[in-house]
Amino acid sequence: MIELLRSLHTHGALLRDFVRRDLKARYVGSSMGFFWSLVFPVISLCVYMFVFRTILATRWGDNQPPAQTALTMLAGISVWTAFAETLSRSTNCLVENSNLIQKVVFPSEILPPYLSISALVNMCIGLAIVLVGCVLIDADPAAGWKLAFQPERLSGALVVLPLLMFVQCVFTIGLGYLLATLNLYLRDTYHVIGVATMVWMFATPIFYPAFIVEMRGYGWILDLNPMYWLIEAYRAVIVEAHWPDWKALARFLAASCAVFALGSSFFWSQRRKLPDLL
Amino acid sequence: MPKSATQPAPAIRHADTSLSIRAHDVSKLYRIYDKPFDRLLDLFAPNPKRSREFWALRRVYLDVPKGSTVGIIGQNGAGKSTLLKLLSGVTEPTTGSVHVNGRVTSLIELGAGFHPEFSGRENIALACAILGMSREEVRELAPRVIEFSELGDFIDRPVKTYSSGMYVRLGFAVATCVDPDVLLIDEALSVGDEHFRGKCLTRLNEFRDGGGTTVFVSHDLGAVKSMCQNVVLIDQGEIVEQGAPERVATEYLKRVKARGNERLSMLARGTHEFPRWGSGEIEVHDVQLLGGDGQPTRVLRTGEHAIFRLSYRAHSAVRCPVFGLGIYRSDGTYVCGTNHFWREQPIVLESVEPGEVGEVDMALGAFPLLEGQYYLTTFLYDHSKPAPTAIDHREHALTFQVLDALHHQHGLVYLPAAWAVRRHRAGADAPENLESGR
Repeated sequence: MIELLRSLHTHGALLRDFVRRDLKARYVGSSMGFFWSLVFPVISLCVYMFVFRTILATRWGDNQPPAQTALTMLAGISVWTAFAETLSRSTNCLVENSNLIQKVVFPSEILPPYLSISALVNMCIGLAIVLVGCVLIDADPAAGWKLAFQPERLSGALVVLPLLMFVQCVFTIGLGYLLATLNLYLRDTYHVIGVATMVWMFATPIFYPAFIVEMRGYGWILDLNPMYWLIEAYRAVIVEAHWPDWKALARFLAASCAVFALGSSFFWSQRRKLPDLL
Repeated sequence: MPKSATQPAPAIRHADTSLSIRAHDVSKLYRIYDKPFDRLLDLFAPNPKRSREFWALRRVYLDVPKGSTVGIIGQNGAGKSTLLKLLSGVTEPTTGSVHVNGRVTSLIELGAGFHPEFSGRENIALACAILGMSREEVRELAPRVIEFSELGDFIDRPVKTYSSGMYVRLGFAVATCVDPDVLLIDEALSVGDEHFRGKCLTRLNEFRDGGGTTVFVSHDLGAVKSMCQNVVLIDQGEIVEQGAPERVATEYLKRVKARGNERLSMLARGTHEFPRWGSGEIEVHDVQLLGGDGQPTRVLRTGEHAIFRLSYRAHSAVRCPVFGLGIYRSDGTYVCGTNHFWREQPIVLESVEPGEVGEVDMALGAFPLLEGQYYLTTFLYDHSKPAPTAIDHREHALTFQVLDALHHQHGLVYLPAAWAVRRHRAGADAPENLESGR
C-alpha cells in the first residue's frame, strides 16, 4: 500500500493530466458543456421531488417546507451520483484502457484515483447549488418558496467539507481498486455492479428520511451502510448548518481505510499480472 | 535533452554496459482457463488442474550489444510479440530475467499506447509522461514530434479519427523523438506511404548511427534482411537459429515451406466446396504443383522451376478435349489463363477413348510471380463444337503460396529487367556506363 501511494506520488503529473482531460471532456465535449452538470441534478431533483414529496408525501420534519426537502434530497443525490458513477467507471477502467496497459509500461494505479477525483469535482457543482439554495431560500416552515438572504446559514461546520471529500475519495478509490481488479478475473463484475448500485441507492436514505427506516425496524440496514453515514454528514454540514455526527464520521473513516487497504493491496498484488489478464 | 532518471519497471541497470538487452533463460507461461471463474478460484487456492499451460516462450537467451540492429523473425504465433512485450517491460517473464539498459520505446501495432479519445497533442504528452519526462521536456519536444509526424491540423483532433497511416506517423514520431536507447518495432512500418517510409528509414539509420539499439520484429524477410546485421528465428516459443541474416532466412523459409505444405494441404481438402461443373466424360481427378525438386509442393519460390500437373481419367469418348488452367491471386486478380490448344504449335488430342488415363503438364522454367497467395482453376473443354463446352471445369482446384526470398522486385510479377545508367559528368570526355544485367 505504501508502494502504491509512492507510485501515485511519482505519477502525480500524469494523474493531474487525466483528471484535467476528463473534466474537459465532461464540460467541453458536448455542445451544452458545463450546462449539463447543472441540468442533470436539477432535472433528477424535479423527478424525485414529484415522486417522493408530492405523491408519497415524504418529508424530513413535520413542517418541512418543500424547498428544504428539495435541498436535502439534492445533497444526497449529488453525493450518490458521484459515488455510483465512480464505481461503475472504475470497475471497467482497466478493460477500457487495455490499449495502454497492454502495450506500454503504464501506471494503471492512477486510473481509479483519477475517476474518483473527477467525479468529486463534478459533485462540487451539485453541492454548490444546494449551498446557494440554503442561503437564498427562506427556511421558515410557513414561508414556502420565499427568497430571503440568510448568510447565517453558512455555518462554521463547512470547514469539515474538505475532510468529508477526502475520506469519500479514499473510500471510492479503495472500492475502485478492488472492483477493477476483480473485473479482470470475472468480467461479470461490471454487470453485477450496475444492479448492486441500484439496490444500494434505495437502501440509502436519499429520497426518504432515515428515521422512517428505524421506525419500521430496519435500522440495521443503516448500521451497515457507510454511504448513509457519509451522506448524513454532508447534509448536516450543508443543509442543516451544524456539525456532523462525529461517531458516524469516525465509523466512515474506519470503513474507508479498511476498504482502501483491502482494495489497494489486492490491486497491487495483481498489478504485474494485469497486462496478461486483459 | 537530459535523460530522465525514472525508468519503466524492469529496466534495471545492468553491470555489463556494452550490452543493451540481456535476456537470460526467459520463459513465459500463460494459463488457459476454460471457465473464467476458475482463474479467480486459482487466485485463492491454486490448483494446476483447473487450467492448461501454454508456454509462449521457453528458455530464451538473447544478448543484444549496444548500437546493433537485431531482427526477430518467426511465423504468426511463434512468440515474437510476447518477446517484444517482455523486452518493453509490459509483462514479466515467468522464469528468468530481462535486463534492458536505458530508455525503451516501442512501436507495437497500430495506435497501441494511444488513448483514442485524446488528441494527438495530448497523446504526445501522455506518452512522454509515461516515460517519466517532465512538463518542460514535453513542451520542448512536442513541436519536433508534430513536425516529423506531418499531421498538421489533425494534431488537435482525437486520435480515434486518424487513418492507419496517421497512427503510424504519430507513433513513429513519438517513439523516435523521445531520444530512446532501445527502439522496439513490430511490423509497424508496413503501413504508411512511400514518402513517410523513406523518412522513417532515414530516421532509423540516424538512430543506429547515433548508437541506438533497434529490435525489429517481422515476418517480412526482405525488410529484416536489409536492416539487420543479426537475425533471430523463433519457432513455437523457442529460438531455433540466430546469426547472419542469410543463414537464418534460409532456415526460416525451410520451416515456412514445411508448415505451408501442411496448412495448405488442409486448405486444399476443402476444395470441393468450390464450384465444379461439366459433362463429365473425362475427369480431372488430380491437380498437382511440382516444385524445382520435382516433388509435389504448395509453396514455390519466385524463379523456381515449376510444373502444374493435371491427371485425367476418361469415362466416355471425346473427340477434341482441351486442358487449360487459370492462375488467380488470392484477391481474385486473374493473372493468366492458357491451354495447350491456343498456341503457335497446338497440341490436338484426337478422340480420347474410355478407360484412358494420362497427365497434362504445364511447365514454367522460372516461376515469374512474386510473393503472395494464389489459386488455380482448371479447365477441360470440348473444342469439337463451334463453342467449346465444359467437360470438367474446377474452380479453386489448387491453392499455393509463393515466397520471394530475394525481394528484388515488388508487386505481382517478376520482370527480368536490365538496368543501365549513363553518367555525363562535367569535365569527362566520354560518359561513364554502369550496367546491371538480368
